[in-house]
Amino acid sequence: MRVLAVAGILCGWALGAAAQQPVPRTAADSSRARQIADSLAIVRELEAATAAQPAGGTAQRLLPDLSAVGDLLADLSPDRSTQEDGDRLLVREVELGLQAAVDPYFRGVVYLGFSDSEGAAIEQAFLTTTSLPWSLQLRLGRYLLPFGKQNATHRHDLHTFEYPYALQRFLGEEGLKGTGIEASRIAAPFGFFQELIVTVVNQLGEPGPDLVTSAPASDRLGGLGYAARLRNYWDLDAATNIELSVSAGTGKLAVRLDRSVGGLNATNARRSLAGMDLTLRWRPLQQGLYRSFLLQAEVLRVLNERRLDLPADLADAQSELPQRDYTGAYLFARWQLTRRGFLGGRVDWLQDPELLAPAGSVGTLRAGSLYYEFFPSEFSKLVAGFERRVPDGGTAVNRVLAQVTFALGPHRPHPF
Amino acid sequence: MRRLLIGLHALVLVLMARPASAQLQVVTSTTDLYDIATAVGGPLIRAVHISEGYQDPHFVEAKPSFILRLRDADVFAFVGLDLEIGWMPLLLQGARNRKLQPGQPGYLDVSSVVQVLDAARGPVDRSQGDVHPMGNPHYWLNPENGRRIARLFAGTFGALDPQHAAAYQDGAARFQARLAEQERSWTPLLAAIRGQPVVAWHTSWRYLADYTGLDIVGFLEPKPGVPPSPAHLAGLIATMKRTGAKLIIMEPFYDRKTADFVATRTGATVLVLPPSVGGIKAATDYFQLLRYNLEQLAAALR
Repeated sequence: MRVLAVAGILCGWALGAAAQQPVPRTAADSSRARQIADSLAIVRELEAATAAQPAGGTAQRLLPDLSAVGDLLADLSPDRSTQEDGDRLLVREVELGLQAAVDPYFRGVVYLGFSDSEGAAIEQAFLTTTSLPWSLQLRLGRYLLPFGKQNATHRHDLHTFEYPYALQRFLGEEGLKGTGIEASRIAAPFGFFQELIVTVVNQLGEPGPDLVTSAPASDRLGGLGYAARLRNYWDLDAATNIELSVSAGTGKLAVRLDRSVGGLNATNARRSLAGMDLTLRWRPLQQGLYRSFLLQAEVLRVLNERRLDLPADLADAQSELPQRDYTGAYLFARWQLTRRGFLGGRVDWLQDPELLAPAGSVGTLRAGSLYYEFFPSEFSKLVAGFERRVPDGGTAVNRVLAQVTFALGPHRPHPF
Repeated sequence: MRRLLIGLHALVLVLMARPASAQLQVVTSTTDLYDIATAVGGPLIRAVHISEGYQDPHFVEAKPSFILRLRDADVFAFVGLDLEIGWMPLLLQGARNRKLQPGQPGYLDVSSVVQVLDAARGPVDRSQGDVHPMGNPHYWLNPENGRRIARLFAGTFGALDPQHAAAYQDGAARFQARLAEQERSWTPLLAAIRGQPVVAWHTSWRYLADYTGLDIVGFLEPKPGVPPSPAHLAGLIATMKRTGAKLIIMEPFYDRKTADFVATRTGATVLVLPPSVGGIKAATDYFQLLRYNLEQLAAALR
């Protein structure tokens, strides 16, 4: 047994010694040795970096991205403030944002809005799937509806002070939001980018705060809001691209009646929307820090149900506003003058539901505006602008506005 | 109704059709990563890049056509350290590609294996400009990091395509051998550059300076991403006169008027250098990029 043990030790020593014998090294051997040495060095560095993490680092990494955007406005219009509450200087909104991966399947986003006029509100709160097959994506929660081009942009990220008038009147002053579910899919069956987005929301728009109907618009499935958008995108060359998209939606919404009975002052009526938008972008790759051009146009049409479904007590009531269809459009252009300065202009035209004309017809609103945007950095923006608004048969209104927006927190993606 | 259903069915099939391919589909954020990836992967991969070499990689537009590239990719290799923060999240979210989600092998943050300079050691906020708290992202301009990138690609491609793992390792070895050969030929160029004072527009050249021993005595940007003010330029001119810096280096995508102004006040020369492959026509690949920059620097500083 002892002999066997000694023999084993001797064999082990011999094998070890043989392994340590210098042998001729080829270039490949040297290369491999260097790779191993470098790999070890990398491992050591990573270990050192991990060890250098402060206590609680793991917990900190699990915190969501927290951001805040401030939107300050000054209304310096010559006659009077054109803001709803008549203020000249106001914090229009502060938006608090939280974003993080919820788990391997969802990403969560919450935007809370705070403003002097409306208090606190859940602006958006949604989950987005990250793991569905076939290029599918679902969104669940409250979000800006994918209807038209500018509606999906946060108001403070617009190049103008407010949404175009057609969007304000037809979709809502702060954009068309909804609570529901959205499914989208990207594809390129014809060689260019396409995205089809369909959504179902509780209601297609915000009813007036004091409207009382016999039942909610979403009481029946047919009363929910349904919308779809088809995006088509082409690169014309490396610097120029174009997007031409169409949107449609339908749903029921409370309509104010010209009288009230038993507390009821409204009824639900179907409202359908159709829109088309075109965006042309030019940004030369090498000079892209200093030169760019954007041209954007949208046409929207609202189709209102003519025959109202009225309760018996209000059988002879009529809608306060004419139940007719409305069309609106805008054209916006923005030219980059310097690295930080942009000049923009917008022309609006719409059949304005808020402009009642004789014999139940509706008046048109025309507006033209000019803007100068200056970005001290990617995290702040100063805007000055002038607008002339001319309602049919009314007095022209001149508006002078200034805006400051700022962003706190992590670097956000640049809007496209 | 039946025709409508058949039509809808056909449309769905067309929309879901996707060509199969045996090659590993690789998308890189920059041309430098693209060039190293193709050197490692050769014909076994099909690579495309998103930004161009003559473009500021931070200000790339998140075009939907890039989303299509990422949708079909097996790997997305990016520089990291927030270089692509302005556009990458939109593209990755739009691409809906499970393989490219954080934590997956296809989500390849190349900065994880390189030697990073300028990582913040104390508190960081935006008063310091558009800082990259995790470090300076222009690391590919140090060839040592080029080597590490090649090895990372070989490992990742091999893990995703085990059948060709050895071929990827060979590709990385060839790349490193060629780089070593190139480096030996750069010795006289490095000797001409080492210790020479220069001024740079942006912090892009920190890694090249670290490798060559070039002494960057000041930057035209007072803080990263912040255009120079007159007061800063006055201070910079004084620094250049004090240190004897006679060369201003800058990227092709910045407006050179400011650099020319400083040059006229100091008697310096403005040298536009490509920070990435394809930044100028001569920088056809990673080796040519480094060689061109070293030759230009050496010629200007001799």
